[in-house]
Amino acid sequence: MNVENRRYVIISFILFVGVIYMFRLFYMQVLDDSWSERAHEISEKRSEVTPPRAIIYDRNGLKIVGNKTYFNLMVIEENMGENFDTLSFAKLIGWTTQEVNDRFTEIIKGEGVYYNKYSGKKESNYQKSRPYPFLKEITKEEMVKIAPFLSAYPGFYEEETSMRSYPYPNGANILGYLSEVNQNEISRDKFYKPSYNIGRSGIEKIYEKQLRGTKGVHYIVRSAMNNEVKKYENGKYDTLAKQALPIQLGLDIKLQAYGEELMKNKKGCIVAIEPKTGEILAMVSAPSYDPNILVGRKNISKNYPILLNDQDKPLYPRPTQAEYPPGSIFKLVQSLIGLQEGVVTKNSAFLCNRALVGCHSHPSPSSIAKAVKYSCNPYYYYMVKKVIEQKKYPNRYEDAEYGLNLWNAYMKSFGLGEKLKSDVFGLRPGLIPNSSYYDKWYGHHRWAFSTIRSISIGQGEVKLTPLHMANIAAIIANKGWYFDPHFVQSPKKSYPLQIKKNQTMVDTIHFDPVIDGMWRVVNEPGGTGGLARINGINVCGKTGTVENYKGSVKQKNHSVFIAFAPMENPKIAIAVFVENAGYGGTWAAPIASLMIEKYLKKSISNPAKEKRVLDAVLNNK
Amino acid sequence: MRKSKSLINNLDWPLLVAFLTLICFGLMTIYSVAFNEEHPNIFSFSEKYGKQIMWICLSLFLGIIVFLIDSDVYKKFALPIYVVILGLLVLVLFMPPINGARAWIGIGSMGIQPAEFAKITTALLLAKYIGEINLKQLNSNNVLIALIIIIIPMILILLQPDAGTFVVFTAFFFVLYREGLTFDPFILKFVNIIPKVKFKKTWIGSHFIPILFVLVFLSILTILLGHKNIGIIPGLPLYGSLGIIITLLVISIAGILFIQKFGTKRERVKVRLIIILSFIIGSASSYFVEYSFGHLASHQKDRIELFLGLKEDPNGKDYNRNRAMAAVGSGGFSGKGYKNASVSSVKTNHVPESETDFIFCPFAEEWGFIGGVILLLIYLFIIIRIIVIAERQRSSFNRIYAYSVGMFFFYHFAINIGMNIGFAPVIGIPLPFFSYGGSSMMSFSVMVFILLKLDSQRRHVLR
Repeated sequence: MNVENRRYVIISFILFVGVIYMFRLFYMQVLDDSWSERAHEISEKRSEVTPPRAIIYDRNGLKIVGNKTYFNLMVIEENMGENFDTLSFAKLIGWTTQEVNDRFTEIIKGEGVYYNKYSGKKESNYQKSRPYPFLKEITKEEMVKIAPFLSAYPGFYEEETSMRSYPYPNGANILGYLSEVNQNEISRDKFYKPSYNIGRSGIEKIYEKQLRGTKGVHYIVRSAMNNEVKKYENGKYDTLAKQALPIQLGLDIKLQAYGEELMKNKKGCIVAIEPKTGEILAMVSAPSYDPNILVGRKNISKNYPILLNDQDKPLYPRPTQAEYPPGSIFKLVQSLIGLQEGVVTKNSAFLCNRALVGCHSHPSPSSIAKAVKYSCNPYYYYMVKKVIEQKKYPNRYEDAEYGLNLWNAYMKSFGLGEKLKSDVFGLRPGLIPNSSYYDKWYGHHRWAFSTIRSISIGQGEVKLTPLHMANIAAIIANKGWYFDPHFVQSPKKSYPLQIKKNQTMVDTIHFDPVIDGMWRVVNEPGGTGGLARINGINVCGKTGTVENYKGSVKQKNHSVFIAFAPMENPKIAIAVFVENAGYGGTWAAPIASLMIEKYLKKSISNPAKEKRVLDAVLNNK
Repeated sequence: MRKSKSLINNLDWPLLVAFLTLICFGLMTIYSVAFNEEHPNIFSFSEKYGKQIMWICLSLFLGIIVFLIDSDVYKKFALPIYVVILGLLVLVLFMPPINGARAWIGIGSMGIQPAEFAKITTALLLAKYIGEINLKQLNSNNVLIALIIIIIPMILILLQPDAGTFVVFTAFFFVLYREGLTFDPFILKFVNIIPKVKFKKTWIGSHFIPILFVLVFLSILTILLGHKNIGIIPGLPLYGSLGIIITLLVISIAGILFIQKFGTKRERVKVRLIIILSFIIGSASSYFVEYSFGHLASHQKDRIELFLGLKEDPNGKDYNRNRAMAAVGSGGFSGKGYKNASVSSVKTNHVPESETDFIFCPFAEEWGFIGGVILLLIYLFIIIRIIVIAERQRSSFNRIYAYSVGMFFFYHFAINIGMNIGFAPVIGIPLPFFSYGGSSMMSFSVMVFILLKLDSQRRHVLR
């Protein structure tokens, strides 16, 4: 064999290796993405910065929801090193070594837990190289004590977070609260990561997207030790975290606070609206709680069960969700419908026939205004009978069907029996029955006015929320139109609220006699709402005393009062509902007047009236 | 005067230019990888790039000195310098270990690795010895001495331990193969014991070295295929040696049928014998490897599996290689751009040794597939160019030496880049003229300048 030719064997071999390497490079660098994905995973870190939630102001520019800085003490196990001194660390944070060790176990077993949809089990993906919160939500004051000594414990570092803080301990049911997102929310919306907070009720929930702001994203090149080396591509893709613009509410926090004060030791609610704008000035739900006690994981887990199990239901937002029979205040709307339908004129008189329906002792009303003043039950029995029985059909059942549906349409035009289109969380529709409602109960054409007569005085099937009641006052103050009651002033296009002016089916002219009646209720001797009188302010109001039953046991009447003032240029419309407090004129009326005076005059002219209300204990405790 | 002019005229410029290009690329990559904002000047001697410039200057200076020495000197003093370096290799074993190996002589960072220079001295002595013997009439002593020249430094290097350089020394077997050094003197001793058999030469003897490489390849393949039951044909349960034996059988039968049809009668007999013999040796060794691998102690097995990359070693060498491969792969077609290596930069430290053994990965990350291929082509050009130079030598001393240099380049190139792309086990050997480090730079410079000198004076040799 010729040895010289062996050079070609060697050269071929070398070229063969070279070509194989080129193919390999082509495969790794151009065709196969998995290496480059791995490189991203290894060397880059995408970190998100969540801005503090937007500030919320009241109508006078007072901050009612702000943020407070808290700290999480984070730990990365991989960086802790072998010389972690459990004893001295425990001493630093004021724990026992046992507690420290338990916390580590808890983190490993619990913090990384997620629901694996493939295996259908909850699994922990705890990783030594990832940061986990060792201590959560510690205050600045606590952090100051720990921070200077942290350098002795590698792997531990502080991380700033922000949580809600409420300068006023009021309006909990309006503002709502935040709590940690659940897995569902995380998978639905990319914004959220485990341990993020989300609005759970109230303004915080409705305006979640407007409050949460824009997250900042930082891409950094990280080293093998997980340290930041530099910004990725000089920060070309980085974005700044942007706090959302503040939201201003129509709420008057001082008035709200005063309302909550007045409603202490009572169950019920106050809703105050500015009639011209539909802005809610105050929305008191009693009993209530300080919103600060539901801030943060620790507080929520401690206080939420207490609030939930309280038999007075402080978490229950009565103004929007409690559906009460309205009682006599309903007569205002009935009067307007009667006038518009022409079944009565402002000077129609009916006999106060107590054989028909119970009433209290007063002269028979000779006009609408007087009927309102005396809150005469038989008067409204006659009048609503005329509305329902229009004699358009020979058959009285068909006639009642037509009449009830017409009446229902009027009620709907007042926003009653349906959810108001608003930014108020958790609205209930109340109940204004129509023909199909009674058909379900009694059967088609099996009912007439006599069957349903109790709706005429706001009892029976009729149910309204206190927000509806306040809105009735606002509509009357506006003489026929309203904006859906809402919280946010001048909402932006992106907000889940568009304000629309609603017109009722009742003409402006018909409101005057009713307003006249309301004025008499408060300001004339013999009116049912005399306790609502304020010197120098023409308050127009209407009392209600609502019969109610728990099961079939009759309970003490609810005390109701709706009002607006001043009559000439209404600035506030209000509904006060005090559960099981008796006559509307006894408690609801003075509370309403105090609220009105507080709002219009900023001071109370009758301290005795105020003291009587403040001292009253009406929640049966 | 005329002499020096002819020296420059006879200098192999293509090789010199290619090698200077590599040095520039290497320095550029080190400057990017080890860049320190506090010392942005490339001549900052506190930084690796500054030091590398120093090493380059020193190496070129050494190279020029070497170039000025008459080429006869190497032949004359091949034995003494070989012995001196052997002495250093022994001495180095008594030095304090650095990174677990006693490979360095010197103070602080200015140390040198005698193993690097042992490559040169071994090449020179081997060239001198083989050049002087008559390859047509080899006796067993000749083969033995040639092997001893190679194996003594190998053993000393393995004691350091320096697996990389140890493996590189097997490059000499290619050289022996090229020179036609046959192992017949050994083989015949055994074969001719059999009565009535009297071979003058055997196929095994003359192709002993390629056979050896094939056997090593088969063994590794056996272990790879035996691992986690990967069949040689996807879907068929032909695991490990079974798959290899069946494959060899198929190839052998095909070979016999082929030669039956196209070969002459004499060739048929010969080839059939060769095929049957290779089938038996191949199958037997494959089965033997599998059997003995199965009976190894588990820690030994682990070590082999790690070496072959069959096992994940998250914190060890496999980790480095995985990171390096991620870095290379992330380069894409045209790379991330100069100084934009995010995985393999020294600062991120995801790929340890990214300025020395793993320097290919920052280069490939920054310059992508295009850069990688250009670098591969430069190395291939250098290796082929050295072989071309080797083949044009009149003296076998020059040729053997040149081949040794060429094969060193090939080994360093194939193993180092192979390490970065997952084709070679992670044994720390530098990329010539590219990696950071003085020893490698100086020894390869000296090696190449000796070659250039020998080449430029090739016409002086009359033999």
